[in-house]
Amino acid sequence: MRPVSLIFEKPLAFVWRDIIEDTSYKLSFFMQFVSIFISTAMFYFFSRLLGDTGVSYLKPYGGDYFSFVLIGIAFYSYLGVSMKSLSETIREGQMLGTLEALLVTQTEIPTIIVSSSLYSFIWASFKVAVYLLLGIYAFGVDIGNANLVGAAVVLMLTIISFGSLGIVSASFVMVLKRGDPVSWIFSSVSGLLGGLYYPVSVLPDWLQSLSYLLPVTYALEGMRMAVLKGHSVSELLPNILALTVFSLILLPLSILIFRYAVRKAKKDGSLTQY
Amino acid sequence: MSYIVETVNLSKKFPVLKGYRDIIFHPFRKKEITALHDINIQVKEGDIFGLLGPNGAGKTTLIKILCTLVLPSAGSAYVKGFNVTLDDKSIRRVIGYVISEERSFYWRLSGRQNLKFFAKLNNIPGGESDRRIERLLDFLDLSKDGHRMFKDYSTGMRQKLAIARGLLTDPAILFMDEPSSGLDPVSAHNLKQLVKEKLAGEKKKTVIFATHNLGDAEELCSSIAIIRSGEVGFAGKIEDVKLQFRETKKYMMKLRSPETGPAGKIRNMPQVKRIMPLSNGSSGLTEIEIETGQEDSRIQGFVREIVDMGGEIFSVYEIEPTLEDLFSKIVSTK
Repeated sequence: MRPVSLIFEKPLAFVWRDIIEDTSYKLSFFMQFVSIFISTAMFYFFSRLLGDTGVSYLKPYGGDYFSFVLIGIAFYSYLGVSMKSLSETIREGQMLGTLEALLVTQTEIPTIIVSSSLYSFIWASFKVAVYLLLGIYAFGVDIGNANLVGAAVVLMLTIISFGSLGIVSASFVMVLKRGDPVSWIFSSVSGLLGGLYYPVSVLPDWLQSLSYLLPVTYALEGMRMAVLKGHSVSELLPNILALTVFSLILLPLSILIFRYAVRKAKKDGSLTQY
Repeated sequence: MSYIVETVNLSKKFPVLKGYRDIIFHPFRKKEITALHDINIQVKEGDIFGLLGPNGAGKTTLIKILCTLVLPSAGSAYVKGFNVTLDDKSIRRVIGYVISEERSFYWRLSGRQNLKFFAKLNNIPGGESDRRIERLLDFLDLSKDGHRMFKDYSTGMRQKLAIARGLLTDPAILFMDEPSSGLDPVSAHNLKQLVKEKLAGEKKKTVIFATHNLGDAEELCSSIAIIRSGEVGFAGKIEDVKLQFRETKKYMMKLRSPETGPAGKIRNMPQVKRIMPLSNGSSGLTEIEIETGQEDSRIQGFVREIVDMGGEIFSVYEIEPTLEDLFSKIVSTK
C-alpha cells in the first residue's frame, strides 16, 4: 500500500505548479485581490440603497441584504470553479499541448483532471475567506453565531456535487471541445434560480419548484443558515440530505460519463485536439 | 522470436467531421478516413527504428497508438508484451515519449521545475527524482540552464528538455516524433549523436522515431518501416530496402578517352549519365557516371566495350544508392 504522503504527492505537484505559474503573472495576481474588494464594496453600497426594502424576504437569514449576498457571492464561486476549472483544464491542455504530455505519464486521467483544478478550489476558498474577513472587519457583518461544523458539512457536500457537475462538463469538452451545454445550463440557471442575489422565495411558485432541482439552492441556503443564523447540523438536515442525494447520484454518474468521454476521444483520436 | 514492439494487422480509422448538410440530410451516416491499414511491424530490443513517410502518412498516429493515446480500430499492438488496448497502464511504465511540441511544457516554470513536476506524475519519489533530474540535465548539457524559465530556452534546449522528460522514468523504449524538426543543422547533428551514441549506445534504449528526414534515418536506424498512405511500403533493414527497390546500379569510372575531347564517343553510350572532365580536360582524363541493370555482367560488358574502344580505365567503383534515391519509388509503388 502506498504511504499517505505519496497519495497527496501528485495533487500537491499540481498545486505547486499552479502557484508558480499564477504568481509569476504578478499584476494579474494582485488584481484578483483588488476585484474582491471592489465587488464587496459594490454590494455593500447596493445594500445601503435597498435599506429595509424586501426585509420580509430576508428575515429567515437575519434581515440584512449585505450579509445575505456576501455569503451568496462567496460560496457561489465554488460553483463557478467547479463548472469552469475542470473543463478549462482540459481545454487549456488541449490548446497548449500539455495534455498529451500529461496523459503519457503514470497518472490516471481522473487524477490529472481533479488535481489540475485543485488550485482553483484552494484559491476559491481563499477568496471566500477574504470576502468574509472584509465583510466582518470592513463592513461590519456579524457571523458571531456561525456554526462552523454545519458550514463545513454543507461545504464538503457542495464541493462534491458541484465538482461532479464539473466532471460532466469536462466530459463534454473532452468530446465536443467547445459548446459545453452542462456548464452553460447550470451556470446561467443556477444564477437565476439558485438564490445567489435574492432569496428563492421572491420567485413565482413554479420557478421556486424548479430551483429545488438545483444543488446550488440547497448549498447557499444551508451555508447562509449555518453562517448567519448558526443553525445546528440537525437543523440543516434538509439541505444536507438534499446535497447528499445530489452527491450520491452525480458523483458515480459523472465518473461513468467521464470514462466514456475519454474512451470516445481516444477512439476518435481527438484526445489532444481542440 | 519475441519483439519489444510488434503490431499485427493494426488499423485505424478516424471519423470525419460532418458538415451542416450531412448533419441535416444524413444524420446517421458515418464518414471515416483510414489513417492506418493492416500495419505489421516488428522492432527488436536495442534497435533504433525509424518510421518514415511523407507528411500525413500515419507515422504520428502509429506512435500515438503505441503510446496509448489513441485506440486502434482493428488489429493489435504490443509494447514490451503489453497490449495497447488492454494494458495501457503497464505500457506507460515502460515507455518514454519525446514530444517535440514545445507547448507541451509549462513556460513559466524553469526547466528543472518542469522535470520535477513530470517526475512526480511518474511516481518517482522526491530524493530520487532530484538525483535523476540532475543526472539527466548533466547528460544533456543543460545543468547550467536548469534554473531558467522554459520560455527563455532556445529550440535546441527545448528539444533536449523533451528528451530529458522522456528519459525520466529510465524507460526501455523511447518514442520520438520528428525529433529534429525545427532544429538548426548543428543542433540536429548533436541530437543525432545523442540518440546514436548516448541513448542507444550507452543506455541501450530501444528508440523508435518518426521522421520524414531520410538522412536522419539512414544515419541512425538499424531498421525502418516506410509508411505511405497508412500502409507499410517496406519494413526491414536499410540495406534490404536498397536491395529490394533499386532497379539499376550506379558506378563512377575514371578513364582517359582515346579520342579528342572529353570522353569522345563514350558520351553517346546509353549507360553514361554524366561526364565530368578532370583537371583541364586536355589530358583526356574524365570521370563518368554510369547506370546499368542489376546484373554484374552489365558493367563487365560496359568495361569491355570501353577497353575495345581504346579507353584507358584507371578505376571503377559502385555508388551505393541513398535512401532518398529510393524513397519516392517506395512511396509511389503500389
